[in-house]
Amino acid sequence: MEPSQLARFEAATLPHLDAAYTLARHLTLNQHDADDVVQEAFLRALKYFGGYRGGDARAWLLAIVRNTSRSWLRRERGDAGVVEFDEALHSEAIDDQHPEAEVLRAVDRERVREAVDQLPLEFREVIVLRELQGLSYKEIGEISGIPVGTVMSRLSRARRRLEGALGAGKGGLP
Amino acid sequence: MSGDDFEAQLSAYIDGELAAGPAEAVATHLRGCAACARAHERLLAVREALQASLPPLRAPEHLRMDLRRALRTAATTTVVRSMPDWRWLAAAAVLVAILVPATWSVATRRAAGQFLTGELLASHVRSLMGTHLTDVASSDQHTVKPWFNGKLDYSPPVSDFAGRGYPLLGGRLDYLAGRAVAVLVYGRRQHVINVFLWPAGGGPSGGSHAVTRQGYHMRHWTTSEYEYWVVSDLGEAELGEFAQLLSQADSAARPHASP
Repeated sequence: MEPSQLARFEAATLPHLDAAYTLARHLTLNQHDADDVVQEAFLRALKYFGGYRGGDARAWLLAIVRNTSRSWLRRERGDAGVVEFDEALHSEAIDDQHPEAEVLRAVDRERVREAVDQLPLEFREVIVLRELQGLSYKEIGEISGIPVGTVMSRLSRARRRLEGALGAGKGGLP
Repeated sequence: MSGDDFEAQLSAYIDGELAAGPAEAVATHLRGCAACARAHERLLAVREALQASLPPLRAPEHLRMDLRRALRTAATTTVVRSMPDWRWLAAAAVLVAILVPATWSVATRRAAGQFLTGELLASHVRSLMGTHLTDVASSDQHTVKPWFNGKLDYSPPVSDFAGRGYPLLGGRLDYLAGRAVAVLVYGRRQHVINVFLWPAGGGPSGGSHAVTRQGYHMRHWTTSEYEYWVVSDLGEAELGEFAQLLSQADSAARPHASP
């Protein structure tokens, strides 16, 4: 590969290293795994860079990070989180109570992090992309390989689930 | 509208992802429905809790450095194959750590070599296009050789091979590989042969190797004193013969040179 090609690749992708790391960290739930996934994803991206035709480099890179994370989880952990996600089924498990907004705001940070970590992978993915990285539904759809309508319903269910988890045992209203 | 659908709308509403019409409808509904207004509040509260608890992360510095190193390695070894298993890659990384300095220098030398042959070819083609084939037009080696005196910091060996069908046409100066170099010009029927030579950098002497670029043939070899490049559109066989003559003349001119 020409040195100028590598320079072009680095200019397009390295600005999004933090975003890539944030996503990998939340999908693998482990710092060292996130390191490895990010490296593998960037090497893959470099290999596919010839096919990259400009456009949103962040979404392009994050899609590769997302896919690499999933194949990593499957390979390294035989991870159940990656298998057979059933949106409706996963949504049913919600503790059907509605905590007050003030209760939600008062939940300590450690418990919020735990609640996010315990989300099914598909929910965690859209939450991280939306709430931590501020991506649009269209971008999230491109990264996760789902239609915008699915992004919308999945995010809504993920939020509903977080609401239930954060309010649990905190005396919310029925 | 079912409760699920409205929740999804509400969720998209706080994300600013609804079109103007539906967004307006949601806003209107929220003003009149206390239960939905509370649901809206809860969504905003969850968002606040998330953003307060989960700041975007920064990639650790060691990852940044490892990554750039890995990319450079991958780019120089041009891995064009299906994505290898990670363990294989890890093993390869160990190998690469050992081999990279060597690979890198080969790669840069190769890149430099390509750059040089490009320069040589350009010079050859330029010499044929304009009026600047020679600075000194003479078939007399005793005219051509002294002409370089004072123009270069070396005095290149000059021979005429008219008797063998390769008459000396003259010489000129050129600028190549970051230095002024001597160019000797020979003819063969209607073909022109440019011989570029400059002092060898002290590296090992090497046998002739042939390169073809854009239909032009090149020969390169190194003696203990000079680096030779010969460029022509002449057939490969004849150019090989000419290179042979030139290299014999060079060693004959240095009777005391070590073999």
